[in-house]
Amino acid sequence: MSDASLPATSGTRPKPPGRADGPSASPPFLLDFFPLEGPEQTRLAPFYAALGEGRFTTTRCRTDGSLHWPPRVVCPSCHREDLEWVELPREATIYAFSTVLVGAPLGMEADLPFCVGLVDLDGVPLRLFSRIAGPVSPGPSIGDRVRFEPFDLPDGRRFYRFRVVNEPTGVGKAEPPRDPSAHR
Amino acid sequence: MNGRRVALVGGATTKFGIRAASWPELVQEAGAALFAAVPGLDSDRVDSLFVGAAEPERFAFQSHVAPLAAEQMGLKPFRILQRTELACASGQSAIRSAYAAIASGLSDVAVCVGVEKMNLPSMAEANTSMACVMDRPWDGAHGATAPPFFAMVAQRHMREYGTTEEMMAAVSEKNHRFANTNPTAQFHEKTFSREKLLRLPWVAPPLRLGDCSSMTDGAAAVVLVAEELAPEFTDTPVWIRGTGQYSDFHNLAHAGSLTEWTGLRRAAQEALRSARLTIDDVDFAELHDCFTISEIIEYEALGLCPAGQGGSFVLDGQADIGGKLVVNPRGGLLGCGHPLGATGIAQAVEVVQQMTHRVPAARQVPRPGVALVHNLSGSANVHSVMVYSREAAA
Repeated sequence: MSDASLPATSGTRPKPPGRADGPSASPPFLLDFFPLEGPEQTRLAPFYAALGEGRFTTTRCRTDGSLHWPPRVVCPSCHREDLEWVELPREATIYAFSTVLVGAPLGMEADLPFCVGLVDLDGVPLRLFSRIAGPVSPGPSIGDRVRFEPFDLPDGRRFYRFRVVNEPTGVGKAEPPRDPSAHR
Repeated sequence: MNGRRVALVGGATTKFGIRAASWPELVQEAGAALFAAVPGLDSDRVDSLFVGAAEPERFAFQSHVAPLAAEQMGLKPFRILQRTELACASGQSAIRSAYAAIASGLSDVAVCVGVEKMNLPSMAEANTSMACVMDRPWDGAHGATAPPFFAMVAQRHMREYGTTEEMMAAVSEKNHRFANTNPTAQFHEKTFSREKLLRLPWVAPPLRLGDCSSMTDGAAAVVLVAEELAPEFTDTPVWIRGTGQYSDFHNLAHAGSLTEWTGLRRAAQEALRSARLTIDDVDFAELHDCFTISEIIEYEALGLCPAGQGGSFVLDGQADIGGKLVVNPRGGLLGCGHPLGATGIAQAVEVVQQMTHRVPAARQVPRPGVALVHNLSGSANVHSVMVYSREAAA
């Protein structure tokens, strides 16, 4: 893959600075949802390096032109490794969503309640699952506009989410939680 | 199907629920229940053991569970010993593997045991394990567990077809009502009216607590034998007639339509084709009601009603005794609980008990000749189907 133009991240997970909390606390590796991002651990390190520059990328096959999600090291269509990194649109529209009120995994309990959803990226045939940042009561609506948002984990790694950028319209809204605060 | 015919000659389940029992203890209980249910079963004749277990590394901090399970059950397999893992369909995978082994001649007498110990002191750890069923670094890391995924499925089904909370509650009410006749069910002796279900707290809107199956501890076991050995075990064998499976994605980006489960349609078509039967031949079904919306979409994918009409189908009583097809007389995952590895085997136990008329009258299917059993796993990205019948294939 052509990733020479992308700087590498620092590699292994540094120790978190003091007590970490929120979604990015660093539990033991086998309870840590966030991937090892460095070039010593993954051939997809350029994806995470790009996140550090505020860019949203994935791979595309130079042989058959297929666009992948998530990024890959081998094209699933032609089984070749001749892939290139390309930028993805940062704007998207909510296709479906829900608000998680109870039952969060470790490290996400403090996030409750939180929204997740499937979002259609503008102009490319990709519908991705993501955390959706923004108000949860009332929550977003199908059709709401969202924008890619990279963020830092306390230990130096990077991750991403989408954030609602328009005012909720109420159009096509599924029934919202009647009192989500009761489930905090 | 090619190969030898395969008979299911008996089975049993432990009590399902929040159990004061560890993973190996649940396997011991399943073994005791199995040997009690199949008096002709001799440990020395069990040549193979298939262990359906989804996440013992997570829930019980234990790998290499197949020999552990064999020892718990007092078995010393001498042909095939293996664990099958397919998340929520791990139990059915054990049965399918044993079926293939016997049909091919590799095994003559195989035990399948399914087990899961899901209730831990920290539910957050259990939820962490469940999120690893998804594509962990890309979907799980955002908070993808089963409830929000199936909530999105329900949201789309409501939007596209007008499905209502009341329709989803009708699934839960039916399955809990059946579970009330099943002493091994987690929610035995618990009553859930539709009105009560619609007042339960939200988990992930539009799903409430009563729309979601539980984190459950439990185990179940069955014995499969080659056709010529069946008379040594029972006068009323149940025959495995066909099987089918389909998977076309894992990452949620490739889920396509959330409301049209073509994978189930294809898996069921293959299972029925291999059984040389049609859906009209099926007398009852055990479907994977991990969430109420799942069962509604499963009616549609199986062709029991048109797309989008699954909610009306259940509301009209068509999935009940006296309706078009009895669905989940055992009590379903909603009523029995869902110990991942045990569920597919507990469904097979229900098939045996229905076909030998050993269930209470309130859930006895009138003419239980042919049964279809379905498990989905993960985000409905894998569908697994078995067809059983009282009569052997010609």
